[in-house]
Amino acid sequence: MTASPRIIAIENVTKRYLTSSGPVEALHEVSLAVGEGEFCTLIGPSGCGKSTLLGMLGGLVPLDSGRVLVDGQPVTGPDPRRVATVFQDAGLFPWRTTLENVEFGLELQGVPAERRRGVATELLGPLGLRGFAGKYPRELSGGMKQRVAIGRALAIDTKILLMDEPFGALDEQTRLLMGEWLLDIWRRTKKTVIFVTHSLQEALLLSTRIAVMTARPGRIKSVLEVGMDYPRLMESGELVALRAKLWSEIREESLRAMGGRL
Amino acid sequence: MTVLVRLALLAAVLAVWEVAGRAANPLMAVPPSAVLPALRELLLLRSYPDLPASLLLTLREIALAYGLAVAAGLACGFALGMNRLVGRAYGPMLAALYAVPAVVWYPSLMLFFGLDAASKIAFGFLLGFFPVTLAVLAGIRQVNPQLVTVARAYGAGPVRVFASVMVPAMLFTLVGGLRTGLALSVIGVIVGEILGSKRGMGALINHAYGLLRTADYVALVLMTLVLIVGSDALASLVERRARKWSE
Ligand SMILES: Nc1ncnc2c1ncn2[C@@H]1O[C@H](COP(=O)(O)OP(=O)(O)OP(=O)(O)O)[C@@H](O)[C@H]1O
Ligand SMILES: [Mg+2]
Repeated sequence: MTASPRIIAIENVTKRYLTSSGPVEALHEVSLAVGEGEFCTLIGPSGCGKSTLLGMLGGLVPLDSGRVLVDGQPVTGPDPRRVATVFQDAGLFPWRTTLENVEFGLELQGVPAERRRGVATELLGPLGLRGFAGKYPRELSGGMKQRVAIGRALAIDTKILLMDEPFGALDEQTRLLMGEWLLDIWRRTKKTVIFVTHSLQEALLLSTRIAVMTARPGRIKSVLEVGMDYPRLMESGELVALRAKLWSEIREESLRAMGGRL
Repeated sequence: MTVLVRLALLAAVLAVWEVAGRAANPLMAVPPSAVLPALRELLLLRSYPDLPASLLLTLREIALAYGLAVAAGLACGFALGMNRLVGRAYGPMLAALYAVPAVVWYPSLMLFFGLDAASKIAFGFLLGFFPVTLAVLAGIRQVNPQLVTVARAYGAGPVRVFASVMVPAMLFTLVGGLRTGLALSVIGVIVGEILGSKRGMGALINHAYGLLRTADYVALVLMTLVLIVGSDALASLVERRARKWSE
């Protein structure tokens, strides 16, 4: 993936959170470059700083040292014209309908009501939410809510899509289907996706590259290239071998995160 | 069904009142059958010709007291809730003040604002102010911080975060506080009038009571009750609207 130009560059980024029990180092000199159109997955033990890293890319979390560049420019704050985020637990506005939630970003950008309604309505088809435009989040299933959150991110049509465990709260079957669905969207829109997951299978089925992070303080432990075509089958020999490799890397870190004991 | 049960209780109360009222000294208690004519005299403006003027004055005092309570309560609540330092410094003081029975302030309010409308407005304001302020504080605590982050990520500045996230998220709690505030402002003004004034509904009540015109007194109290229940019913209507919208 070195052929495509770098759209994201994370250079020697360190982050400390100040807590009541002293500073906590969440990230330690993290460096990672992502090429345009990649599907890059971050995987690593809980608390290793994956959400923190996404927050920095989205301009929501300030860094202590190092640089984060998007499109060659340092990130100084949220930039919804370039970056859209799908958050760890949907984060829908309960007082807005499906359509109004999807429209949210366009509304903030001052897009006229009629046009943003058109954009959002058109998105409902591929989102599988056509009959649910006027429903409120509490009337939707977990998978639907997640698709609304993804729709909200797709509506502002950015080059970069950050996804923080978007399917983490779903059952396995829904999750597999949502993965296929996302893959389809990604291949059609050619967006650059930074994806966080705890599922090895999901990472292997979706990603062009997988970055494994160490236990806190998070660093990039290794980067796996997954050069296989889509759609992928978990049973294929190549993927089985990659899975074993990925698991041995992650296992070590997860053990460390648990204090070295099972 | 609920209405029937409600009416049954009302009928029972009226019956007991009628029986007890007839037995008691007419200076101390009157039965409903005596109140009805008094009410008619009152509404025909025979017993108290200045009833409309008094009612109008009381309503004006309530409107002013409540308006000021809402304005100050919103301002105070947001100032305390949005700024952690200010909130931590003054929040406990507010709670302590709220714990003092408000009536203890009334004598000094009268000294300060005189016997006329101003002291009643001040008292109604004082009573209405706290529930509004506390509702704002509770509402702010209710806002899901993740939704604020989402809004920021999609490009919302402080003003948009306030208007598009804070206000809708706290609306229901806020409207509840506004309703309580209205009820207390109404009570504050009327109690203020009863405790000492020459005009307004409370003054009429005081007058009737002082002259032992018990039937008139009860009729006036009933009218005041209608005023209070009516204003609260209006507020509850608004509240239900808000609940529908914010859920
Ligand atoms: N706002 C904050 N204040 C203090 N500490 C924080 C804050 N946000 C995160 N942390 C700490 O920083 C570390 C990294 O957190 P982060 O949420 O980035 O991890 P994560 O990899 O996304 O974890 P998970 O897989 O459980 O979502 C954790 O130890 C966490 O406790
Ligand atoms: Mg996380």
